[in-house]
Amino acid sequence: MIGGLLALIIGRVAYLIVGTGNYTLAFFVGALLSALQLGSLYALIALGYTMVYGIIRLINFAHGEVFMVGAFTSFFLFANTPYSLPWALFAAALAAAGLMYAVNLWRGKLQDPVVLGAGALGFVGFTLALSAASLNWIAAMLLAMLITGVVGITLDRVAYRPLRGAPRISLLITAIAMSFFLQNFGLLAFTRNQTPYRPATSWTQFLQFPLAGNTVFTSRMVILIPLVTLVLVVALTLFVNRTRLGKAMRASAQDPEVAQMMGINVNRVIATTFFLGSTLAAAAGVLWGLNFGSLNQPAIFGLLPGLKAFAAAVIGGIGSLPGAVIGGLLLGFLENFVPAMFAGTTEFKDTFAFFLLIVILLIRPSGIIGEDLSEKV
Amino acid sequence: MSRAPSPAVRADVLATSALSGRKRLRDALLTLVGLALLALLIAFIDAEGTTRFKQACALFAIWGVAAISLNLINGTTGILSLGHHGFMLVGGYTTALLTLPEIRRQQIAESARSQMNDFTLGLSLNNGLRALGLEALTTPETLWIRFLIALFIGGLVAALFGLLVGIPSLRLRGDYLAIVTFGFGEIIRLLASTSLLGPFTNGSLGYTGVPAQIGRSLWWTFGFLALTVFVMTKFKTSSYGRALQGIREDEIAAEAMGVNLAYHKVLAFALSAFFAGVAGGLYTSWLSGARLDYFLFTLTFFFLVAISVGGTGSYTGVLLGTALVVFVRQYGDPLEQVYPLTTWFAAAGVLVLLAAAGALVLRSRRRLRPRVPPLVLVVGAVGLAALLFALVAPSFGLLQGSFQAFGMRAILLALLLLTIMIFRPEGIMGRAEFSWAWLLREHRDRPSDEERAQDAWLTNPELNPDRTAALRNLREPDPQAERRDDQKGAR
Repeated sequence: MIGGLLALIIGRVAYLIVGTGNYTLAFFVGALLSALQLGSLYALIALGYTMVYGIIRLINFAHGEVFMVGAFTSFFLFANTPYSLPWALFAAALAAAGLMYAVNLWRGKLQDPVVLGAGALGFVGFTLALSAASLNWIAAMLLAMLITGVVGITLDRVAYRPLRGAPRISLLITAIAMSFFLQNFGLLAFTRNQTPYRPATSWTQFLQFPLAGNTVFTSRMVILIPLVTLVLVVALTLFVNRTRLGKAMRASAQDPEVAQMMGINVNRVIATTFFLGSTLAAAAGVLWGLNFGSLNQPAIFGLLPGLKAFAAAVIGGIGSLPGAVIGGLLLGFLENFVPAMFAGTTEFKDTFAFFLLIVILLIRPSGIIGEDLSEKV
Repeated sequence: MSRAPSPAVRADVLATSALSGRKRLRDALLTLVGLALLALLIAFIDAEGTTRFKQACALFAIWGVAAISLNLINGTTGILSLGHHGFMLVGGYTTALLTLPEIRRQQIAESARSQMNDFTLGLSLNNGLRALGLEALTTPETLWIRFLIALFIGGLVAALFGLLVGIPSLRLRGDYLAIVTFGFGEIIRLLASTSLLGPFTNGSLGYTGVPAQIGRSLWWTFGFLALTVFVMTKFKTSSYGRALQGIREDEIAAEAMGVNLAYHKVLAFALSAFFAGVAGGLYTSWLSGARLDYFLFTLTFFFLVAISVGGTGSYTGVLLGTALVVFVRQYGDPLEQVYPLTTWFAAAGVLVLLAAAGALVLRSRRRLRPRVPPLVLVVGAVGLAALLFALVAPSFGLLQGSFQAFGMRAILLALLLLTIMIFRPEGIMGRAEFSWAWLLREHRDRPSDEERAQDAWLTNPELNPDRTAALRNLREPDPQAERRDDQKGAR
């Protein structure tokens, strides 16, 4: 079956290139580049799914909404300067509490009001400094990543941690509830501030270069997105493979109960996982906004990208980091090349991910490079 | 992961076995009286209720049908299915197309012609629909027959899709299956928006003009609800239903007991999809039109809330939950209107204060570790600060302006679902159903008078000299005692 599909695709490509002559090399290179862009974004989101699933076997349905929160937070950070005083105070209190919680989490028992005060002061100073000048988008991205990471930790603490021993179905229903909560909360909090996403950066400018007699049209984002993704994925891999916490993470993914017996604070490990996954999702959100130039309405913004990224994680093999990247890239290529090769399939673009998901689940449920997760008796 | 059957299930089994003939008659009479009272209530609402209230009741009945059908998969069979909006869409569009006048259908096909070639148009089902002979039934007197036929066909088409979705459920479990059913639902919705199905769906624009006299009438909608409840409760206690409950409790054990997993799972999906399709048909009739954004995932989410809040597996609970969801949805307008910022701050402060006070009371009255964590006090202080700030701010010129909270209803429902999932995962009713014995405070897991009389006879030495032998037969061996003996032996 797979051989037949491959033959069909290769034959179609050959026919398009040789037979019709409509499809030039430049066209293919352009499609390849945009596939790389989209695939990298999916990969970044899929990493969050795969990490969380690897440890607590939960499909974090709300991860797409975390991506939405990241995108809108960064938008809010650079579009709303200078902040009004109530907003600055509110945000400072929120950020300080989040910072205290995060520090508390990583350094053990540290109920330290000094951290709280330092966080509040830092954020107030930061907002005041920002009021003077418009925010650089890289700073906005980093700050949005931090805030979204704290949102991810909170999500785990509020919704998932009370249900650690519960059946997985209740966890899944809770995740759906959180997804709905975040969607509508985003609608409530962000919808009035919705404007095109155009920070002052030259990365969004067009880029064109000649290739084999034709011109490839693309934008500079085609360099930025894979670059940022590469950096983040390498950093994440180093974190998981080289640090103590990463080791604890791998141990918890193997067997949470035994890891707990060996003295690993599994709750802290899970919180770290949520933090890292949400951070990556926020980065994807910022890049998504830069790439497409505007943000969708919050209620639907995270839905389709989130689900497609989940499909990518399953396709690559859920629970494995390289699997998520491979799945994301594969999905990006699929969405760009199938409409280009087969006329009239453009409007079915959004369904490819689900079709591929179902096919992969039926043929090889553990994904392309995933381990076998079949249920034990 | 196997779970012991809950006490409710055991009580249920006992209840059916220990029902004496007199009580059966009494229950039947009580049921008849109850149904008559319900009919009177519906007649009263139909005559006296406001339009808005009538609409809410009709919506309750329609969503009740859908939620009960979802409960067959999610509650009785224990498979999490999230594609119900897809089934409703299929049934809804089929019913709507079959009840539309042919001229209107032709217009829809024509408006899609610009995007289509003649070959695709030739495939149009219009000729097939005409062959059904429904066009004869167009007068107001006969339209309801046509509507019933259309609803039935819509349900059947949805059941076909249910078969299609049921097949992956044979290989997949748990979360994977949930995501695949969701994917199917979304695929159906995305496919319906393409030009391939344009002649039937008119793209994402949809159409109006579906006759509404059944969807809006309380008698019709409640009639369908009663029919669904009847069929589903009968199904639940039939051998099929018990097989499905066995699948829910432990799939592998059920298979070992001879339950054909594939057959039963696909049957559950098809039956559930049939009723979802009927609900979809009623829904399009109620809205007197069909549009893609009537069938968003939100629908499935609402049913999920209804099921989880009411009690997974209990039809009484599902109806309770549906009533809650429908009335929050229909009467939640005040939540989403424009209020001054101070009002919002004060309301948030009061809510947070109430939550903190509740936590304080619950925590300090706990039997184990009655200790109030400092977080509760911090939260209470924040609530108080918000309230005070809202009261003081206007005099300093702060907090001016107003705010409209779009999506407050969904937020409330999501928080409700979250709370229920954390504190009472089995829902309000659990798996228990409404029964007259429960209402009359009878405990059927205690011996009935008949059984007491039997016991008295058995234990009376004058009437029954060989009572030790009889008792030995009666008394079951105590498994606990045996296990204790085993452990002793092992040591």
